Amino acid sequence: MIEKLRHSGTLLGFAAIIIFFALRLPDTFLTARNLINISQQLSMLTVVAATMTIVMVMNDFDLSVGSMASLAGIVAAVLFSMGYPVWVGILAALAVGLLGGFFNGFLVSVVGILPFVATLGTLTIFSGMAFLASGGKTIYGRDIPAGFSGFARAGIPLDSIGFSGLKLPYLSITAICVVALVWFVLEHTTFGRRLYAIGGNMEAAHLAGIRVKKLRLLAFGLTGIGAAAAGLMYASRVASANPTQGSGLMLDAIAAVFLGMTMSQQGEPRVLFTLIGVLMLGVLDNGLTQIKVDSYVREILVGVIVILAVAIATISKRKS
Amino acid sequence: MKTLKICNISKSYRGVPALCNLELTLSGGRVHALMGENGAGKSTLIKLLAGVIPADSIKLLKDGEPVSLTSAQDAHAAGFRFIHQELNIVPQISVAENILLGRRYPCWFGPAINWRSLERKAQEALAFLGADHIPVKKIAGSLPSGDRMLVKIAAAFVADKEEATADLFVFDEPTAALSSDESRKLFKVIERLKNRGAAILYVSHRLDEVLSICDDITVLRDGHLVSTGTVRQTSRNALIHAMTGRDVKDAYPPRTSPIGVAPVVTAKNVSNEHLHGLDFTLHKGEVLGVVGLAGSGQGELLRLLLGDGKPKSGTLAFQMSPAPGSPNNAWRKGIAYIPRERRGEALMLSLSIRSNIVLPHLARFGWLANKHAETRIAEDLCEKVRLKYDSIEQTTSQLSGGNQQKVIFARALFGNPSLLLLDEPTRGVDIGAKFDIYQLVRAQSAKGCAVVLASSDLSEILGMCDRILVLQNGRQTALLSRDNMTSADLLQYFYTQEAA
Repeated sequence: MIEKLRHSGTLLGFAAIIIFFALRLPDTFLTARNLINISQQLSMLTVVAATMTIVMVMNDFDLSVGSMASLAGIVAAVLFSMGYPVWVGILAALAVGLLGGFFNGFLVSVVGILPFVATLGTLTIFSGMAFLASGGKTIYGRDIPAGFSGFARAGIPLDSIGFSGLKLPYLSITAICVVALVWFVLEHTTFGRRLYAIGGNMEAAHLAGIRVKKLRLLAFGLTGIGAAAAGLMYASRVASANPTQGSGLMLDAIAAVFLGMTMSQQGEPRVLFTLIGVLMLGVLDNGLTQIKVDSYVREILVGVIVILAVAIATISKRKS
Repeated sequence: MKTLKICNISKSYRGVPALCNLELTLSGGRVHALMGENGAGKSTLIKLLAGVIPADSIKLLKDGEPVSLTSAQDAHAAGFRFIHQELNIVPQISVAENILLGRRYPCWFGPAINWRSLERKAQEALAFLGADHIPVKKIAGSLPSGDRMLVKIAAAFVADKEEATADLFVFDEPTAALSSDESRKLFKVIERLKNRGAAILYVSHRLDEVLSICDDITVLRDGHLVSTGTVRQTSRNALIHAMTGRDVKDAYPPRTSPIGVAPVVTAKNVSNEHLHGLDFTLHKGEVLGVVGLAGSGQGELLRLLLGDGKPKSGTLAFQMSPAPGSPNNAWRKGIAYIPRERRGEALMLSLSIRSNIVLPHLARFGWLANKHAETRIAEDLCEKVRLKYDSIEQTTSQLSGGNQQKVIFARALFGNPSLLLLDEPTRGVDIGAKFDIYQLVRAQSAKGCAVVLASSDLSEILGMCDRILVLQNGRQTALLSRDNMTSADLLQYFYTQEAA
């Protein structure tokens, strides 16, 4: 019973947050329009947090995802402005994400630098590259093809199921697909199972014949692609690319994974719990904005909630 | 202290009794052995005496005077000293600091540490232990594992003037990480403590050790006292019977099938940065023992055969083809490895029994995880190694040491390996589980699996091995046939000068 309560503590907190806003904002909060809006707002963070989960399963993490997202958006936008078609820009941006991720993985697993230090370094490298490639300016307007920015505005119409005038945005669908894919990879492939083993005990995994270096390299590559995808989604949504636009993603993504870890059996990251963590952060942000709480106060609240959830999980785990 | 009477000591965890109304009397100047299988209640008794867990009921009479124990400080003030089993030094700080850790450091005017005095105190403690070869200023992490254990033990012998003199020493498997040489030094220290009139409670799984250094012996089983008396009144077989509740005629199952002719491992003058001049051939079904002083390269030899590191010179072959280049390659080729450190090198404690068993063999299931097939195979293997468990999905952190070791064996036996590498496979494992493990090794060898067994337990080596490879400082100095060898004969090879 206590055991159950421990795992569902964060979930209960989430429910309390929803009930609170539903009561404070009876007309606007629990409406289809608002929920769809939240799902679209959260789609970038969802992608980054889901792919961040892949490295965090191995007890690693990646601080460079935010600046990688900015860099990927810039790479695509620069290529668009040079007249390349949309698919070239997208592929190039994802390739940059993969290479950047591999570089992180190389530093961490082959060279053996702590992930904190390695990705702190690449954070500034990617950020600097984004500024360099864009000349420090925002790329917008005619440089961004309508086909690219149209993706974020379009969606599947929901008229047929009774929500006239609403559509499920492609951005949200993309995020759901990424979560489903990461879930499948982590929970249902031997690759994912090996990552959890590395997280459980890296030395033991190595001696049990797991190719630790190769898998860590791959995992960082996937996180890099995720960050690049989020950067593209962001650029599409705002129809522009700016060398700092991804910078908020990293801290929120890590916070979401930590929130998710308070819900799992052994405190290990699970992508579906990460998704709940993302939703928690997103709902809080959306609700607090609607009841006109100062954005600085919002930041304080988010920090307090993350610390509270992890503290409660840690204390109750110690007691059980 | 003349006597310490422990009466009425009971403790249960969540309603499950771990110790029931135990009565025990320890006398000054005598070594009292405490024996029993894992889970018999030895650790619980020690933790209660150390004041680290609260007892359901406890009554202690020291020379007739009651002693109250509610905290570790109480135990220390009462003169109880503990040498715990787990080797936990702080590697980043000096030997001297490790020895004085948890004590009040000697100081100049308040806050400034008096390093000279600190080092002197540490030096004295080491000297008392006969381990003054260890430099006190050295960073503890740079010591070999035997010396680290000695540092940890020395911490119990720091002389404090202001505190009560220590008159009860509790040793919990102190020799598990020591070489025979270091163990003998420790035994001399125990002798000295005994002569000073201290009482000693000595916990060990090693029968020979207990029979040679202890005066009294108490055996626990399932939290109850089974027998108590002087060592002279008992025998090996009586002890084994008391501990396991069954008669064990042969501690080591004899070889039942002949050794094969096909070579499994062929080493010709193999060297790397740790090892030199390895030269041997291991045949199908043969059991090769690897012995030497602690840290002579036994672990490195097994790691080399696992493909973790490459030979610098010489040729190493596995089944007539080049030896595997990585652990991954080794497991694929049918080499299974049981590392020395159960928790550090073998288990994922947060993962299930199933995950731990199938881990090296995941590739056989394809890229899609197949939980049903894994569960079926894991359960079969658990039955084979006679693992006691509730559910195949429970985490390995919930298992006792012996059962954790069986999980690692189940992992190694998956798919019938052709070479089994065992590094101290019975370390910290109770007698019942030991016999199970020996039988598994024999059965595997009868199937044609070659075995390399590195162990510091010489009776185990003599009981199980066909040939014995002796290492000195990483160099192969002898390759002996087991025939008519005694542990004393074998021990001589640890120290003999290399042939010119």
